[in-house]
Amino acid sequence: MRARTFWLVAAGVLLLARVSSSGVGAQSPAPALTGEVSAPDGGAMEGVLVSAQPSGSPVTVTVVSDQNGRFAFPPGKLGGGRYALRVRATGFELDGPRAVDIADGKPARVALKLRKTADLAAQLTNTEWFMSFPGTAEQKRALIECMSCHTLERIARSKYDADAFMPVLKRMTGYANNTIQARPQKRPAEVDFPEDRARKVAEYLATINLSKSEPGSDKAWSYALQTLPRPTGAATRMVVTEYDLPRQTIAPHDVRTDANGFVWYSNFVENELGRLDPRTGAHKEFAYPVLKPGFPTGSLALEPDPDGNLWLAMMFQAGLAKFDVKSETFQLFPVQKELNSDTTQESLLTPSHWHVDGKVWTNDVRKQAVLRLDVASGKYEFINPFALTPKGRQHSPYGMVSDAANNLYFMDFGDENIGRIDAKTGAPTIYPTPTPRSRPRRTMMDARGRVWFAEFAADKVGMFDPAQEKFTEWDVPTPHTYPYDVFLDRTGQLWSGSMSSDRILRLDPRSGKSVEYLLPRPTNIRRIFIDDSTNPVTFWAGNNHGAEIIKLEPLD
Amino acid sequence: MKFLTPKKCLRACLAIAAAVTLAGAIAAPVWAGGSSFGDDDEEADEGPAYFGFVRDTGGNSISDAKVTVGIKNRGGVVTRSDALGTYRVPGFGKDVDTKEVEVSCEKEGYKQVKTFRRTAPTALNVPIIETECTLQKG
Repeated sequence: MRARTFWLVAAGVLLLARVSSSGVGAQSPAPALTGEVSAPDGGAMEGVLVSAQPSGSPVTVTVVSDQNGRFAFPPGKLGGGRYALRVRATGFELDGPRAVDIADGKPARVALKLRKTADLAAQLTNTEWFMSFPGTAEQKRALIECMSCHTLERIARSKYDADAFMPVLKRMTGYANNTIQARPQKRPAEVDFPEDRARKVAEYLATINLSKSEPGSDKAWSYALQTLPRPTGAATRMVVTEYDLPRQTIAPHDVRTDANGFVWYSNFVENELGRLDPRTGAHKEFAYPVLKPGFPTGSLALEPDPDGNLWLAMMFQAGLAKFDVKSETFQLFPVQKELNSDTTQESLLTPSHWHVDGKVWTNDVRKQAVLRLDVASGKYEFINPFALTPKGRQHSPYGMVSDAANNLYFMDFGDENIGRIDAKTGAPTIYPTPTPRSRPRRTMMDARGRVWFAEFAADKVGMFDPAQEKFTEWDVPTPHTYPYDVFLDRTGQLWSGSMSSDRILRLDPRSGKSVEYLLPRPTNIRRIFIDDSTNPVTFWAGNNHGAEIIKLEPLD
Repeated sequence: MKFLTPKKCLRACLAIAAAVTLAGAIAAPVWAGGSSFGDDDEEADEGPAYFGFVRDTGGNSISDAKVTVGIKNRGGVVTRSDALGTYRVPGFGKDVDTKEVEVSCEKEGYKQVKTFRRTAPTALNVPIIETECTLQKG
């Protein structure tokens, strides 16, 4: 085992002491930065995200302007020093000032002026591109996987015609799931390239990009760019802290905190488990060995077991890894030879009740199967949960949770089902979601044993109550959100995030009312986590394509 | 005629198993970073769908009853009856013998008293197998 410690740049460590977490180490409240945001016509602007980053620091703090255009960084969030300022307000950019000096112990004030942006397209989220693209829902549905590796802006700005798109699409099929632009990884086994379906997609893409725009034309796209409204009201009541990670090839996928205040994350593209101390900025990585040289590296799911140890699903490295938090050592469980092929891919797992029967649940994506690891022997058992479903339909056991008896509940991300596998008999039960073709993705089980999940392709979040064997679904407020994950907090609020909208959803399942918090940067979110120990609760996630950890603190 | 030694036979069997596994894998989905150009289900090799009504002994429709369509000890699909008391489950694979498929229904405050398959068990190549499930209060 190789462990390496990366300290964020030396100056950054010093500066981190100034950018302290709320309530942590804030013996005397540091001076706050306050100010106003005004539009080009001088009017006050609500819902403008104002970010302050100390020079040389990897930490950025963001607040939002209220209905009077005023913003305030809460006491304890910023210390003395020089801060770079940036804003997020779609359609606008910061005219100035771009920096502010804060003297220790003295509140600072700044008046920010915005101007109209010259490049609106550069500010669009994937959701806004989906809204803008002409075409049918079916045509757009083909694009939802593109966001796994890159933004839709990349497609929209391309100039390929349909013929030129075909080799591009073929090349894309050769990339592994755990690919980011900073680290493309080739899929080890050749995969099917369905020419007829790809041709349809290519022809559609050529209608939404710049392939038909006149050179020099000021009308770049044949359609109007649609934008979502800026945050208002409760959506402005938040503070976001971004922690830049030290390499662009760190792709935080699953993020969670522990009882000691550390933030742990899986790295989707490198064989490293990461740990961040948000109080000091100290960042440490724990490397685990390459099991299959020449195969894509990195892990997806990161889940704790009852002892507080952390387990990783090792994707194309084909197996699971258990990290002993006390000894800081790994124990690896490679998939045995008989089940291990070039396509073997473990993306999800649940070790949360492995003490019950000595078994950890995981999956094999390409075989559309569930695997069950016997921890004592290190052997995996192959389970096909879809033996009784129609052949020819795509399935994919994805998000996983287990109940107190270690019965498995999994999301059929390829289709529209929640599956249950009985721990004792191995018999599967399939529960189709009320919404067809919903593609349920990640999941969590609450203290009452209810299974909450994101319905990725249905723009819904859902709850399945195993006791009643009943579903409840809620629409997310913004179409084309494509929720990836959910988390029910201790107060009964349901949180969700996605790869698409740069917004965090907070939904009250009882009233159906919701708030969407906009994030300061393009943010490709996967697993989300709520720290229930704070008041209000604290939201954590990784920016999978942006090499950063995000903390969102609602103020209400 | 040549016979394989047990060791060679094992090797051959493993090779065949690996080939079968790989063939299955290539036909399987790729998802992120791969060739998922929409919902690329192949033409489903389905047997008949399972459909029917849940009613009480007076013939009234019962909504929101749990309906299980499955094979004993092999698992099944669970759905619920709608406002009209109907349920529908997509067909299983063609390799599943429809005679082995059982339908049952449950609802709190009721007990199942009967299931009646309206589609004759001998009927071949039917698109839907209709089974009525009857519940009685108490």
